[in-house]
Amino acid sequence: MDLAATLYLGVTFGLFVIFVGIVMRTYSRKNRDKNETAKYRMLDDD
Amino acid sequence: MEKPQYNTEIVKSFVHWSVLWGLVAVLVGVIVSIQMTNPEMNFPPYLTFGRLRPIHTNAGIYGWGVGVIFATFFYIVQRLCKVRLWSDKLARFQLWFFNATISAAALTLLLGFTTSKEYHEMEWPIDLMIVILWVSFAINIIMTIIKRKEEQMYISLWYMMAAIVGVAILFLVNSAAVPVSLFKSYSAFAGTNDANVQWWFGHNAVAMVLTAPPLAMFYYFLPKSTGVPIYSHKISIISFWSLIFMYLWTGAHHLLWTPVPDWIQTLAMAFSVMLIAPSWGSVINGYLSMKGEWHQMRENYLVKFLILGITFYGLQTLQGPMQAIRSFSAFIHFTDWVPAHIHMGTMGWVSMVCFASIYFLVPRIYGKELYSIPLANLHFWLTLSGQLIWSISLWVAGVLQAGMWNAMNSDGSLTYTFMETMVEMYPYWWARTTGGAVFTLGVLVFIYNLFKTVRSGEKTAPLTASSEGRA
Amino acid sequence: MWEKRPILLLILATAAIMVGTTVTMIVPFMSVNTDADKIASVMPYTPLQQQGRDLYIREGCNNCHTQTVRPLVSEVLRYGEYSKSGEFVYDRPFLWGSKRTGPDLARLGGKYPDAWHYKHMDSPRSMIPRSNMPDYAWYRENPLDPKMIQRKMEVLDFPYTAGQISALADKNEMDAIVAYLQKLGSDIPWRKAAETTIVGEISNPFAGATHAKMEAWEIIYENNCAACHGKHREGDIGPELVGSNYEDEELFRIIFNGIPDGGMPAFNSLGSDKVWQVVTFLKYYDEEEGHKQ
Repeated sequence: MDLAATLYLGVTFGLFVIFVGIVMRTYSRKNRDKNETAKYRMLDDD
Repeated sequence: MEKPQYNTEIVKSFVHWSVLWGLVAVLVGVIVSIQMTNPEMNFPPYLTFGRLRPIHTNAGIYGWGVGVIFATFFYIVQRLCKVRLWSDKLARFQLWFFNATISAAALTLLLGFTTSKEYHEMEWPIDLMIVILWVSFAINIIMTIIKRKEEQMYISLWYMMAAIVGVAILFLVNSAAVPVSLFKSYSAFAGTNDANVQWWFGHNAVAMVLTAPPLAMFYYFLPKSTGVPIYSHKISIISFWSLIFMYLWTGAHHLLWTPVPDWIQTLAMAFSVMLIAPSWGSVINGYLSMKGEWHQMRENYLVKFLILGITFYGLQTLQGPMQAIRSFSAFIHFTDWVPAHIHMGTMGWVSMVCFASIYFLVPRIYGKELYSIPLANLHFWLTLSGQLIWSISLWVAGVLQAGMWNAMNSDGSLTYTFMETMVEMYPYWWARTTGGAVFTLGVLVFIYNLFKTVRSGEKTAPLTASSEGRA
Repeated sequence: MWEKRPILLLILATAAIMVGTTVTMIVPFMSVNTDADKIASVMPYTPLQQQGRDLYIREGCNNCHTQTVRPLVSEVLRYGEYSKSGEFVYDRPFLWGSKRTGPDLARLGGKYPDAWHYKHMDSPRSMIPRSNMPDYAWYRENPLDPKMIQRKMEVLDFPYTAGQISALADKNEMDAIVAYLQKLGSDIPWRKAAETTIVGEISNPFAGATHAKMEAWEIIYENNCAACHGKHREGDIGPELVGSNYEDEELFRIIFNGIPDGGMPAFNSLGSDKVWQVVTFLKYYDEEEGHKQ
């Protein structure tokens, strides 16, 4: 495997890790409910 | 908590002007469609197809689309942030500068001052006006969000902010040019590079003007219209990051089989297919938000517009990736199939959501009941049938034309000359004009209904429940 | 975190947008339009051609015509050699277009004589009855502005001579657009390379056909030949065809491969059957009229 191919794979893997990170963070026990509060608050009368 | 005094005057003004530009866009659209079947309807030098078509597209995208974005974002941002707009004066300036810019764009395009780049035809002085316009809009929205009274930011605000930076980056790069005179410039990029930059811009203008902002409106006005929250804020978050990340890779699917390097085309093709996931994330989120509320499709005209809108968004984001595949692109590209695809997005998705948003907010900012719900329903059916006639006739035309272009005799020669394939298009182009006229009729009904609402609609109590859209 | 911090969200959104932007928009600048792409025979536009190009842009011709031939069988047959990156290095902006309401123009240069273009731009329907292209006869009334064109050449950094600029004074917009159309795609010698070599003995498979066949074959003539040679073969842009006295085989070669330097396009894309039918049609009436005399 040459340098370019390693780089491509590395970047692809890195981006995938970021994506998994976002999903895990969004659905983590700590944030799970917090991340849904906005959708109820936006229904308040204005 | 004391209720903030929202700026509704600016929302009213942007609604008026965007609807006016929307009318211009559809009327010019009907005219250029007639010019395609009846060349004697060209009146040179100013009123020819080549000069009018960019006026149709730019009035539609920037006058109508961006006009409604300004109106609804000013409405939404104040309510989601629970504060008044950061600067009324800046917003007022933005309104007049918006109209000055669109007018100047229309005038200069008629005069033949154009860069030829699709959806970016305006010459450099107009580009500068657009930059000023966008910066003043960005400052007002971002400052309002910064001084908000609500801790969490609802997903609509995320899409707004992404659109603000996205449009800025795209527009600045694609504007790069060397002026020769006040109304003539040469692109800073040449040939294949210019093509690649242009379609990186062109396709992502679709992302940042015709996808992210309508999604912001959809995520706001759907729950407000049904009275129940969206199914999942978390799904909307995952879709958000995936969408704004993936879109930017796909521009070169407009350039398949051209001299643009193959690897860029392949990346564009792959990311276009992957883009189905975040697009359908929003579609499914919308559908699941209707759980137990599907009866509102019968009762609530706002829901009809919004759910049909997201349905066309879903179809659009399946058809788009299909066209982005090399083999299918080889067959269908450059035919009338492509305008049919675009118009499903603009007439079906973007305009449906824009209509619903305006129907929702006009009664609220004027404190009047909508003049006529039956007329709003009529408008819905005219919009839907007009768009379907438009798109379906040109899909058929596109497949027919592509088939004829590729037809070969057994000795390896072409079966049809170009003209033999073109004359077959005339009946379909007539059908398209009919579809456009039906859609335009719907727009006239819409304007009449709004006018009567403002003029003579019954006053409502200032505080109304969020289920007001129901019949 | 970013759910509550708008500035952070703006920065992260920008970062997400910039990844794809960098890879697919910025990185290609390193390889596109470099020496690897260069084609030595591709020349910048002359002042007259460049002005014609700017008129093409002003009129929005790119809304109906593309300028890129894709490497697909039907496309190369219909238009000619597929487009190469190096052919566009002087194009600011690019004009590849996105819709073919009219035909692709990337290989138009040299296909027809100038006279064809003048007549066609004046009134497309006088040559192609069901065309929907607008008339551009009014171009003839607009003189050119040599000073402005010179400035354009300076901005583009294209070579020009004082003679080329002064010659613009008695040209009009029609001259400019035709000069531009005649340049399109002609910088590489593709027409010569695309010529079909006819091997072996050839003979007319339709020789001796009767009058009943002629009506269908006349339609091929009308669609492909009449614009230049006249509806009744009386000649116009091309020569008169009545009494031309070519042998079948000679006529076939001319129609099939054209006369590259004489303004006669090649009609090999029609296929040999249709070309033979036109040959037979022409000969049939030639002889018939010969009998009358």
